[in-house]
Amino acid sequence: MNPFGFLRYHLNVNLLGKSFLRLDRMRLSRRMRRTGFWRDEHLSPPLLTSPRLKELISSHYLKGRYANGHCPVAWVTSGGPVEFLVALGYYVLYPENHGAVCGIRRSAEDLCILAEGHGYSRDICSYARTDFGAMLGGKTPVGRLPRPDLLLCCSNICQTVLLWYRVLAHHFKVPLILVETPFLYRDALPHQVEYVKHQLEAGVEQAERVAGRTLAPSALDRVARLSKEASLSWAEIMACGKQRPAPITAFDEFIHMAPIVEMRGEQFTVDYYRAMLAELSGRIERGVGALANEKKRILWDNLPIWYRMRRLSRLLAERGVAMVASTYTNAWGELAEMMDSSRPLESAARVYLHPILNRGTGHKLETIKTMAKEYQADGIILHSDRSCKPYSVGQMDQREKLAGEMGLPALLLEADHNDPRVYSDEQAENRLEAFMEVLGV
Amino acid sequence: MSSGEVSALGIDVGSTTFKLVAVDTQGSMLWHILEPSQPRLEEQARRVLQEASAKAGRELDEGSIVATGYGRNLVPAGRRVTEITCHARGVFAATGHGGTLVDIGGQDSKVIVIGSDGRVTNFVMNDKCAAGTGRFLEVAATRLELDLDELGRVALESEEEVSISSTCTVFAESEIVSQIARGHPIEQIVRGLVRSLTRRVAALARSAGISEPVMLSGGVARNPAVREFLAQELGRPVELPEHPQLMGAYGAALLAQAEK
Amino acid sequence: MALSTRTFDRLNEIFYVVPMSESSGEIAVPGRIETIRAYKALGGKVAAVFPIHYPRALFRACDILPVEVWGPPGVDTCLGDAHLQAYTCPIVRAGLSFLLQGKLDLVDMIVVPHACDSLQGLGSILLDFIKPARPVLPFYVPRGEGEPARQFLVAEISRVRDELCEIGCKSPTPEEISEALAREERADAALAELLARTANLPTSDRAFYRLVRSREYLPAEEFEKAARALLVRKTEKARPGIPVLLSGIVPEPGEIFDAIASASGRVAGDDLCCSGRRLYAPGHGNDPLSRMADGLLSGPPDSTRGSSVEERIAHLSALVERHAAKGIIFYNLKFCEPELFYLPQLRQGLQAAGVRSVVIESDLGERLSDQTVTRIEAFLESVA
Repeated sequence: MNPFGFLRYHLNVNLLGKSFLRLDRMRLSRRMRRTGFWRDEHLSPPLLTSPRLKELISSHYLKGRYANGHCPVAWVTSGGPVEFLVALGYYVLYPENHGAVCGIRRSAEDLCILAEGHGYSRDICSYARTDFGAMLGGKTPVGRLPRPDLLLCCSNICQTVLLWYRVLAHHFKVPLILVETPFLYRDALPHQVEYVKHQLEAGVEQAERVAGRTLAPSALDRVARLSKEASLSWAEIMACGKQRPAPITAFDEFIHMAPIVEMRGEQFTVDYYRAMLAELSGRIERGVGALANEKKRILWDNLPIWYRMRRLSRLLAERGVAMVASTYTNAWGELAEMMDSSRPLESAARVYLHPILNRGTGHKLETIKTMAKEYQADGIILHSDRSCKPYSVGQMDQREKLAGEMGLPALLLEADHNDPRVYSDEQAENRLEAFMEVLGV
Repeated sequence: MSSGEVSALGIDVGSTTFKLVAVDTQGSMLWHILEPSQPRLEEQARRVLQEASAKAGRELDEGSIVATGYGRNLVPAGRRVTEITCHARGVFAATGHGGTLVDIGGQDSKVIVIGSDGRVTNFVMNDKCAAGTGRFLEVAATRLELDLDELGRVALESEEEVSISSTCTVFAESEIVSQIARGHPIEQIVRGLVRSLTRRVAALARSAGISEPVMLSGGVARNPAVREFLAQELGRPVELPEHPQLMGAYGAALLAQAEK
Repeated sequence: MALSTRTFDRLNEIFYVVPMSESSGEIAVPGRIETIRAYKALGGKVAAVFPIHYPRALFRACDILPVEVWGPPGVDTCLGDAHLQAYTCPIVRAGLSFLLQGKLDLVDMIVVPHACDSLQGLGSILLDFIKPARPVLPFYVPRGEGEPARQFLVAEISRVRDELCEIGCKSPTPEEISEALAREERADAALAELLARTANLPTSDRAFYRLVRSREYLPAEEFEKAARALLVRKTEKARPGIPVLLSGIVPEPGEIFDAIASASGRVAGDDLCCSGRRLYAPGHGNDPLSRMADGLLSGPPDSTRGSSVEERIAHLSALVERHAAKGIIFYNLKFCEPELFYLPQLRQGLQAAGVRSVVIESDLGERLSDQTVTRIEAFLESVA
């Protein structure tokens, strides 16, 4: 928001960054199209859109690096109603997504250790510990995170985010917008929707004050429309997993979900998913599966195990087990229909109350049962994530009912999404082996 | 040690070792008794006190005794004080300054931040998990068929190390077995074990807040590799008081002496 | 009528009962079972209520006695462990196990307020999977502030009132609700006085908290009587002992007070969810549901209600000053996120103001571990 910041941003992001990232994408694309690029007997090569994904993600963090001084910055929870912030011109950062990047790049452990050295217990969410480690000066693989001017916390994914964001608010001394979404034990009631709507309205006012500008209805409409389009495309992409063989696995989706999570409301996100969908349609037409030899199909419940994705993906692929869908990636598509871009705030109040994590354990079970049928699943892995109580509590009963009533082999796998110290390769793989034997591969 | 009139006794009843220290009116350490802890602690305490009285040349009444350590309630003593306070007192008297004391015992480890006046300003303990304690090395030594006292020397014999990643002592044992099966030399495995222990202890120390200098006490302090690795982990030199295992009993004796 | 120790031992097996002190005559407070039986004999219903914040007055207006379930400590959790992972809150694991053992068969309904992910999960699995014979009523307390939160809470309280009527409870008139609320407000005022005057009350911490915690189950008017009976006996001089503030969810097991006392300490100042963090101020206006909502939102800064770190630091500092406490014992339940997230910044802020603190972890066992006792003793030795 100052001339120097403006210049610095445009030089580094638009002039230098854009060109460099584009060249890098083109280089990667060329490499991917060379014969002999991919030599794996079990897994199909990555999607040809992957270099573009990398470009989008790198670009996102590059923008963040130079955002301070150029535009207002908001840190947001992954299920947050981000549309009005994007429409107000905020650069939006997702600490959870940054946490996942650290998890994938194996830097989360050191950040957690740093946070623990400052007194944060090992019993709190590993995303939060990763974030606190970064907040306290730890090294992050994305370079440098912009300081927030505003925090937006929506409790529709868990109750600890409010505690986490209170810590951030105290550290950064910035305002915190709370959009509290009362937990839906049963169906949503009018007073719950009203409450969320009022908080959204108050949130908009607060965000306008910090940004120093007013929210233009046309801007919000545009962002809401793009958000919905992208969500609908994402839902279609996941639906591709219903094909036999599945042209994409949940492991791929864990990576390709980055735009819908952290770049919602942008045109390039819509374009990306259209391109991805086109490529997947091509694969479906040619009968190309994500696995060279798909024998069995399974579902995944809960967050991924970020630091072990490649290894687990390989382990399953070697036995022809395709992970065709997950409740986690599904969460960003299943509510697309509920969005009404003509009444963005009103429908947002309703939409943001309904993510799967804000609904009862019985509802999640029904969702899994439906997915099992629609995706013709032969089994399910329920990741009992030590760091995620809202997702994990209820899994024991869900597992019982899936294995019992539905006769669906269901493995409860104990781990953590970001803290490798809680994970034992030998133990986990032993259980996976046993599970695959039950599946019959 | 000088031979003078015994004025007070400090008894530190640990889970692994039983320690008794005698001090004179000046608070100087005269002599000590150190032996493995026996299951019947009360009997052991009675016997050791008899030995101590014989050595001192007179009966020592309860008023001259302060007991500390996990079995402190089973020992006849005028006062019972926690090992945290006693260690701080002992180390402060032995070194002449405060700092951060890292004490790695048989079954627990603690970090005590001692102020420049000898008072405890902060403390943290690990007493729920064997992985950060002497027990960790004990289990490993048994598995490797080495004497516990040899471990330090063996660890320092190697430049390279095999990383032991298990969070749990029991699982570390199976990890040792699989590393041996893979043909890794014992020295490298032992080095990895000591590294694992000191990393954990260093994390505990950081959570207490490092106030220099860092000092090491407890039975495990006798392991030269632990001291070296801890210094590496914390990026600072680690001091060793003269009788690292006796600091608790010494501090208790000083407290007993101060009461008189 | 004092019950014999043998009867208490037997009652202890059936339900969580507060034991009488050996030197009786200190504070005679009936136990939970006794209270439940007496209330039911009068034709009332009983609700088992999980922590933390909920509208007591509403239940009493419907002739339902809320009896809180904070564990209890020392429960064998093997039945609950079939439904809840080990990293769930110990209160929730114990409470579910208690229910599955049939120990809540005496009650007519189960109320699960919403305070954290563990309680959220408990409410949900009770409703969707376990489906106990008794109706399960969730209750959501907002973490937000201001008018939208207040309006939401009024509507949420109305919803519970309607649900109570649906399950066959009495439908109270606004006057009955107002009366019930007035009684709760008086009881809360008595509790506030008790906590303000701890130092000058002729009792031990353990006995004092037996009385304080009877607020969790005694009818408000009976609690008020018992509280006032102790308050009239207040002394000029403060009780001996190193004053320390006790902060956390619940002081269980009760041995914690013995450990503090043997280390020459005494509890001065209360930041516990079961007591000090539920010091509600009376609400405003004539509409009883509105008043009730105001009251619930008026409690002191509480991590389980997502208060800001600044507010928590200020509140604790003020308590320390008011009670001249030498330090704070943060007595934490394992896995309790609301407490764990705040602790580092809280302790840092307090340390900057010269307030020492120690963190002690509890897993709601029946006994206090030696390690815990050592920590308490070491802390008191260092602040003495």
